[in-house]
Amino acid sequence: MRRVAWLLLLLVALFAGRASAHELSMAELEIRETGPGAYVFSWLGGGRVPATDELTPRWPRACRGDENWVACEGPMAGLLRIDGIGKSYSAVLVKFHGRDAALHVYPLTAAQPTARLVDLDNASPFESAAAYANLGIEHILLGFDHLLFVLGLLLIVRDRWMLFKTITAFTLAHSITLAVATFGVARVAAEPLNAAIALSILFLAPEVVRRWRGQTSFTVRHPWIVAFAFGLLHGFGFATGLAELGLAREQIPLALLMFNVGVELGQLGFVLLILVLGRAARRLEFDRSPIALRLPGYLLGSFGAFWTLQRVAILLRGLV
Amino acid sequence: MSASTLRGLMALALALVMPAAHAHLTQTGFGEFYDGMAHLAVSPMDLLLVLAAGLLAGLAGIPAARFTVLALPAAWLAGGLLAQRWPGLAGGEFIGLVPLVLTAALVALDARLRPAGLRVLVVGAGLIHGAANGAAMTAAGAGALSVLGAATAVVVFVTLLAAESTRAVAGWPRVLVRVMGSWITAAGILMFGWLLHAAR
Amino acid sequence: MKRLHCPPGPTALRWLLAAGAAALPLAALAHTDGAEAAGFLSGLAHPVSGLDHVLAMVAVGLWGAVLGAPALWILPVAFPVMMAFGGLLGLAGLPVPGVEVGIALSGIVLGAAVLAQLRPGLVVATLLVAVFAVFHGHAHGTELPAGASGLLYSLGFVIATGLLHGVGILIGEARRWGFGQRLIRTAGGGVAAAGVFFLWRALA
Repeated sequence: MRRVAWLLLLLVALFAGRASAHELSMAELEIRETGPGAYVFSWLGGGRVPATDELTPRWPRACRGDENWVACEGPMAGLLRIDGIGKSYSAVLVKFHGRDAALHVYPLTAAQPTARLVDLDNASPFESAAAYANLGIEHILLGFDHLLFVLGLLLIVRDRWMLFKTITAFTLAHSITLAVATFGVARVAAEPLNAAIALSILFLAPEVVRRWRGQTSFTVRHPWIVAFAFGLLHGFGFATGLAELGLAREQIPLALLMFNVGVELGQLGFVLLILVLGRAARRLEFDRSPIALRLPGYLLGSFGAFWTLQRVAILLRGLV
Repeated sequence: MSASTLRGLMALALALVMPAAHAHLTQTGFGEFYDGMAHLAVSPMDLLLVLAAGLLAGLAGIPAARFTVLALPAAWLAGGLLAQRWPGLAGGEFIGLVPLVLTAALVALDARLRPAGLRVLVVGAGLIHGAANGAAMTAAGAGALSVLGAATAVVVFVTLLAAESTRAVAGWPRVLVRVMGSWITAAGILMFGWLLHAAR
Repeated sequence: MKRLHCPPGPTALRWLLAAGAAALPLAALAHTDGAEAAGFLSGLAHPVSGLDHVLAMVAVGLWGAVLGAPALWILPVAFPVMMAFGGLLGLAGLPVPGVEVGIALSGIVLGAAVLAQLRPGLVVATLLVAVFAVFHGHAHGTELPAGASGLLYSLGFVIATGLLHGVGILIGEARRWGFGQRLIRTAGGGVAAAGVFFLWRALA
């Protein structure tokens, strides 16, 4: 198992370096608010191909756009998507100028072609805190890979104390890297990160099998250490959700805190649900059926393997 | 954390989540899968059926309960996906009431069903209500993911209920389960009356 | 296949009931339409708004307590279903003669049975209560506010009625004490007296 962990580290180190060295051709989309609900936009910079040929902005739902202006009901808020990233342009920098001269910058890539525009400048601190927490909950609830990893941890732990230590370690670790990534101290490119997260799920599956065979291993004895190590990876994954917001520097502390609170709330809800369901399943004596006992491990392994292959393929395609 | 504390938290979480789900046709803001889950939580007829089926399965004993927690959601999913493809398959409220009242009445009577009878009832009820549920969500513009979400909510709800009601082997816990069955039966019969009333 | 079980945990069932009780009204309130939530609440409120209905329901619980098991729980299981049947007749437009008189009579008979500590056979008691239940359902189960969901209204109506039975059963628990016997019989007498008043009003 240690070999797999080393391999994983090597992969991340290798591809993180390569990916960031990959030449970026970036377009810039500048949006400027001219009046209440009225915006003009323009494309800046460019390479061989004009940006407008390949890149199409998909405005939030309450907005209608034309060649160079957008009209919204109220302030522009919601999901902004840009189609066509990844052909000639590998990234788009959206610069959003509010009327009060506030500037938000959203980096969009093929892996993450959406920005979430929130009218944070006019929101009360409570409203924006709730919006960040909601985003955190959404991110964990829709992050099927994160949930599957947590499920794997739950299948390995033996008692409540170990459960507490493991979940705390995972939380602590992903909070650290979430903060590190959000403050821009360190970055990991999306493709190798996703592959590594998939690998972390694949890594857990054999450990789950060992656990129900009654065998032991480093992971079975010390799941919190594994949870901490891989938690560091998953934290970078969570950071992509927060990056959607294109936060101004002074907004980061509150956003980071509340987004993390949201993630923990969602994770706690999931853990409680699994525990309660597990208890009900034991009550219904599913643990006497060999198939039911094997199912979670195989589920984890199948998804882990599938995602690993898929995401490594994406990673390799990006490098060629 | 004791098991009863957990259940308390669950109930609390349910109570907290549900009022949040009432904006449009249940938009959770977390995508179609969770919208599907929420849609089940705010469909009284479907919720009552899952409740009655869970109670009935629990009263019938552990093997029957095990079958139910697998077959009801599976039938629900199948019915939902079929109705999504062919919305005409979904019956109206009249048809949905039949398995509801039947299941709840069997709970109230504490009837000793033959295993085959229970299986037919559970699968039939799942297909009928799953189809109605799926057709309703499709009409609101939701896709297959919402049907999967609804079926997942059925898994969670019926598993918890069946597991709890297997505890009601005798004495007043069993009476309480039967009283709940009687209440659901009564509400179902009255609903039948309302449908007749509206049709007149 | 019968297995040995640990004794049913009362906390577990309490939680089950609490969760169910919490979830259903919330589901009701959370539904798309405000009118539907109103349906549930008005269904819940309706049985409590008519004193004749309230007293008769409490008397059913009291009489169940006087009769003891199994009538103690057969009556609360049978009553809602029979009441729904009465409601069904009303909704289908089938007349039930003398509904108001029947409801008043139910108060008199049930109250008197509690007062006199009558203990007929289970079948007789169940049939008697079932017949009265039809009257109650016919009179009260059929007043739906416009736009409300029939199912939620009915559910609220049934739950409130069931809780009134519970109140009667709880008061009936007082029989364990010496003075409690007298208290229960007095309550029965009160219900019967009120029933006479309702009968007079129904006939006048």
